[in-house]
Amino acid sequence: MEEELIRIVNLNKGYLLGEEKVPVLKQICFSIRRGEYVAVLGPSGSGKTTLMNILGCMDVMDEGEYYLDGLPIHDTPPGKLTRVRNRKIGFVFQNYQLIPTYNVLQNIIMPLVIRGMGHKEAEERCMDIIKLLGIGGRLQHRPAELSGGQRQRVSIARALAGGPAMLLADEPTGALDQSSGKEVLKLFSRLHEQGNTIVMITHDLNVAAAAQRMVTITDGMLTETPS
Amino acid sequence: MRLTEILRLVWLNLSQNKGKVLLTSIGIVAGSATIMLVLAIGKGGQMEVAQQFKNLSVGAIDITYEGRTVSGDDTVGMGGPGGGMLSGMGGGNGRMAGRAAGGPGGAPPGFGTSSGKREEAVSLSEADLEEILAYVPELEDGTISFSVTADVEGGNLEESTAYTIAGVKENYALVGNLNLEIGDFITEEEEENKEKVCILGAKVAREIFGSSYNAYNNTVYIDSRPYVVAGVAEDMGAVASGISPDEAIFIPYATGIKYLTGNQANPTITVLAEDVERVDAVTGYLEEVLAERWPDTKFTLSDAGTKMEAASGTNQTLQLLLAAMAVIVFLIGGIGIMNVLFVSVKERTNEIGILKAIGCRRRDILTEFLLEAVFISLTGAVMGVGLGFAITPLIERFSVRVELSLSGAVCSLGFGVLTGSLFGFYPALRASALLPIRALNHE
Repeated sequence: MEEELIRIVNLNKGYLLGEEKVPVLKQICFSIRRGEYVAVLGPSGSGKTTLMNILGCMDVMDEGEYYLDGLPIHDTPPGKLTRVRNRKIGFVFQNYQLIPTYNVLQNIIMPLVIRGMGHKEAEERCMDIIKLLGIGGRLQHRPAELSGGQRQRVSIARALAGGPAMLLADEPTGALDQSSGKEVLKLFSRLHEQGNTIVMITHDLNVAAAAQRMVTITDGMLTETPS
Repeated sequence: MRLTEILRLVWLNLSQNKGKVLLTSIGIVAGSATIMLVLAIGKGGQMEVAQQFKNLSVGAIDITYEGRTVSGDDTVGMGGPGGGMLSGMGGGNGRMAGRAAGGPGGAPPGFGTSSGKREEAVSLSEADLEEILAYVPELEDGTISFSVTADVEGGNLEESTAYTIAGVKENYALVGNLNLEIGDFITEEEEENKEKVCILGAKVAREIFGSSYNAYNNTVYIDSRPYVVAGVAEDMGAVASGISPDEAIFIPYATGIKYLTGNQANPTITVLAEDVERVDAVTGYLEEVLAERWPDTKFTLSDAGTKMEAASGTNQTLQLLLAAMAVIVFLIGGIGIMNVLFVSVKERTNEIGILKAIGCRRRDILTEFLLEAVFISLTGAVMGVGLGFAITPLIERFSVRVELSLSGAVCSLGFGVLTGSLFGFYPALRASALLPIRALNHE
């Protein structure tokens, strides 16, 4: 059996609304094995973005335990989560979140540069990923000069650049047309076949269907959905 | 993140916003230029003061007549203090309209009333000098001199030109720190015989004869009388007060009285204190002796040290004023930088969010924004130094001495960068403290 990459136990999270605390995630328990391709499906307001923020170490839970690649994230001080994000997680955002003033190459190598790697070395390290994603001809372009599909490829390349433990994708096809969306999903399937762990947050059942495993979140409660 | 990579990002951001960088740095440009010019003008002022006083004996005290009350409220005002006295002449060709002592601005010597006040002429004389030298202790030497303006002809002059003529004793060169480039100073014998010899100031010699060597042993005509040039003084530069030696013609005192002023000369007595530290005490003794000899008469006693202190004080006040102005300009420039950086942080909140999401540390973001502020202010400071150099000739056209220096330029750069760094720190801190989720979702 493949080893566990993510384990979440009794996760609770709420937000203060005035003086009242509104629960968003309730008693979430689940785990993801290394190499799995999991879709977290849920309608708007179900708590899936909050779950993604916690999984992505950008927000902290109120109660519970979260282990990522063996690291107790719930016990890690917020300052050190920066390093965890850089080393363990590759983010793919719905609206790409590329830095507009950097060109494609500069955007892709950023996680490695942040890690302390030199520009040249980082470029060399990313060449295979750039070839895999077919964006070699666009390296000197700015994000604004690319199509939505191309931007998302750049975003995926950046997410893969740091060699993360998992890809965390938030509505990766949400801003794309149907054909570009299908392309991205194909790419995810290919990356999964190569052994990457992918966690995809989506509200679209058709998109979620592309994943190997599906979990549904409704009113802050997580349920396993047979695929 | 490596510093080189942060610098690369800083360069990337700045090079893509050149216009904004230039506009942001305008305050620093003005501040740096101001501080550089403040230092340069301050240094120029100091050098000007030093230049003006370098030829003055520090222990020299000038005594000039001011006015005398004969009885009640009556005030004596022979010709006013500006009339032909050695101190205050300042010496330039034709600057003085009057041809004899006490000429302009005053009533005829011996008479003249104003608002019912009776005035009486007082003129310092050789007898006064003798009495001072006899009764005032701690004096090294003393001399008496006067100056008038007279027409001069000869040499290369195509027409008669007005020059300052100073009637001086043989010891004037010692008391007045006057050195000769060529020839000998006026002798006791020439003074006694009222000989028509003269010593030309360096500038006068150049103007009339082209050079000191051409002037030596040549003849000039002062008030149409021939005078043999017995020597030419060294170039002395500007002086704070008294006769400007470069622009004067020195003749024997007695000769001057005989041929130029008659008994209308209004001389200045200059004495030299033995000890520079005792100038104040000697001034007190002088006042006592003068008060006894000339009751109810006001004399002006001024020593070089006091004049120098006053001039330096004025210069320092000016410097402080300009420095305060520079600080204000820097403050405004710094606030300008802070404002623009706040706007920049706001504009780039999403970018900061992305960097934080992919693992950029807080200190790297702080460093990046701070370095941007430093580079903007450095750009401004460099332009400010350039501006300082560029407008220096313009300022010098207003007869302000500007002494630009490397240390001034470095100081100006330092202040510029410091201002940018200080005012850039807070926006940079705010940027680095942004929460990734909020920054990412920022519209």
